[in-house]
Amino acid sequence: MKKRSYGMWVGIAILGLLTLAALIAPWLTGYDPTSQDLVNALGKPSVHHLLGTDDLGRDVLTRILYGARVDLLVGFLAVLFPFIFGTALGLIAGWFGGWFDALLMRIVDITIAFPFYVLAIAFSLVFGAGPKSIVITITLVGWVAYCRIVRASVLVVKELDYVHAAQLSGLPTRRILSRHIFPNVISQAITFSMSDIVLSILAIVTLSFLGLGVSAPTAEWGAMIQEGQAYILQEWWVPFIPGFMVVIVAYSLSLIGDGIVKRFVK
Amino acid sequence: MSTPFLVVDNLSVEIETSRGLLKVLRNVSCSVEAGSSVGIVGESGSGKSMTLKAILDLLPSTAKYTSGEVYLEGQPLLAKSPSERRALLSEKIGIIFQDSMTALNPVLTVGYQIMEAPRFRMGWSKEKARERAIELMGLVGITDAEKRLSAYPHQLSGGLRQRIAIAIALAGDPKMIFCDEPTTALDVTIQAQVLRLLLDLQAKENLGVVFVTHDLAVVNEICDRLLVMYAGRFIESGPVQATFQNPQHPYTYSLLKSAPDPETPVSRLFSILGEPPDLTKPLQGCPFSPRCFASQSDCVASEPSIIDTKQSVAACFHSASFRDQLHQIEGAR
Repeated sequence: MKKRSYGMWVGIAILGLLTLAALIAPWLTGYDPTSQDLVNALGKPSVHHLLGTDDLGRDVLTRILYGARVDLLVGFLAVLFPFIFGTALGLIAGWFGGWFDALLMRIVDITIAFPFYVLAIAFSLVFGAGPKSIVITITLVGWVAYCRIVRASVLVVKELDYVHAAQLSGLPTRRILSRHIFPNVISQAITFSMSDIVLSILAIVTLSFLGLGVSAPTAEWGAMIQEGQAYILQEWWVPFIPGFMVVIVAYSLSLIGDGIVKRFVK
Repeated sequence: MSTPFLVVDNLSVEIETSRGLLKVLRNVSCSVEAGSSVGIVGESGSGKSMTLKAILDLLPSTAKYTSGEVYLEGQPLLAKSPSERRALLSEKIGIIFQDSMTALNPVLTVGYQIMEAPRFRMGWSKEKARERAIELMGLVGITDAEKRLSAYPHQLSGGLRQRIAIAIALAGDPKMIFCDEPTTALDVTIQAQVLRLLLDLQAKENLGVVFVTHDLAVVNEICDRLLVMYAGRFIESGPVQATFQNPQHPYTYSLLKSAPDPETPVSRLFSILGEPPDLTKPLQGCPFSPRCFASQSDCVASEPSIIDTKQSVAACFHSASFRDQLHQIEGAR
């Protein structure tokens, strides 16, 4: 009997609860995430405001829940798109080789040569602020990892006997790619995406913290940390709570990722 | 005389490696008649598997053809476009590999894999392909075919997987199957079963077989003609029985002599000294001469010319006399 990975279920439970809470946020809280109440600004946690209020009197719990909507959705999309583009390009480059492969791999090398945030900041300046541009930015930088992983696996798998046999039996190329290559190279990309989604959420928070991501007054954790940092000595919970949420989400995603890796890599 | 089923004419292949150009095939020529069975033997790295891959257009991307042509039923393959070449080959030739684990796709059921060529190349309906798959599984001696159709490769034993691989090779209705050491990874009893199956198929379906192996006993069992490969070239050819009894090349002779014979046990087996030549370097003289017990000055001076594989010949200057040399050496000891 294999040792069960409880960690993965803990991760799934935390993330599931948070996702559910984000989805039903309007029913969980009576406050609006952007409406200000300057009289009650920087209030301590109380019965009315469970996690207190920020500098503009907005309910922190409400903003955390609405912020989760942005961060989780953007985090998911910012892994999904790089996954799709990187995998498709890696399949084509690995299978056909030639000049396309050579060109693509040089682009990958160049992209990897830059520190991630340097490129991300440059792109977000080009595309402007907002969730959409964050997804575009991370996609433009993030596809290279998937492309490399998939291409390397394709190079191995395409020399395996069953692929040779499929080629010799005269199957069309797209069938060989979809049925014989793709299912046998994708597990590594999936495994990687699990750790990538953690980094992707951190990237969104970081970009927003730097003022390049989601802009005010939209609720978003990175922006909330940035807005709250001035009060860290007195009203510490204002920047602390969104920061803590980032840690919780990153940790539960790591747990899920580790669990999946354990299942794939026996 | 009709055209042979397969003709390889002066084929040369080079592979780019980090150590330089590797001349894996050097002017290989041979022909295979429809329905006949040919065994290609040689040690690792001699180019026997590469010959199959070169014929089937399955060379790695670092390899390229530098000379020659392959004719399939008289049609030149290399002159055609890749897709035309593939279409011709897939219609006529099937292949079985050494390791039945990597020869089957782990994520597809074996039934699906048998039905793939009929369905997606020949355009059969799913039902018709399914019937054919069950028929083929019966042909290769798999009981319970209906149930096994939905099995995945890892659920089957090595012998069963190799039978499935044969069924897949036959599904495209080929006239010839290429076997790349299909019995090497199997234990001896299963090996015997698979060989018997291949022999049966050969007789029943009039199937041609090209059998690549380093197991001389297997060739003896299944093949009519023998081709011996060394350093990317055929160095001896002839009917299997005659060649085994009276090899014309010192290499073939040494190979046969180094196989244990249960009837005349010896304390120490004969062995071939040294190792195969490095094909990235230019060869001087006969490539076997550094390891040959009968090597003389003319062997080092020039390489014996390419043999006509339709004859019983060997690429050796001393075919007639090398045995005397050995007797002299052994006598002196």
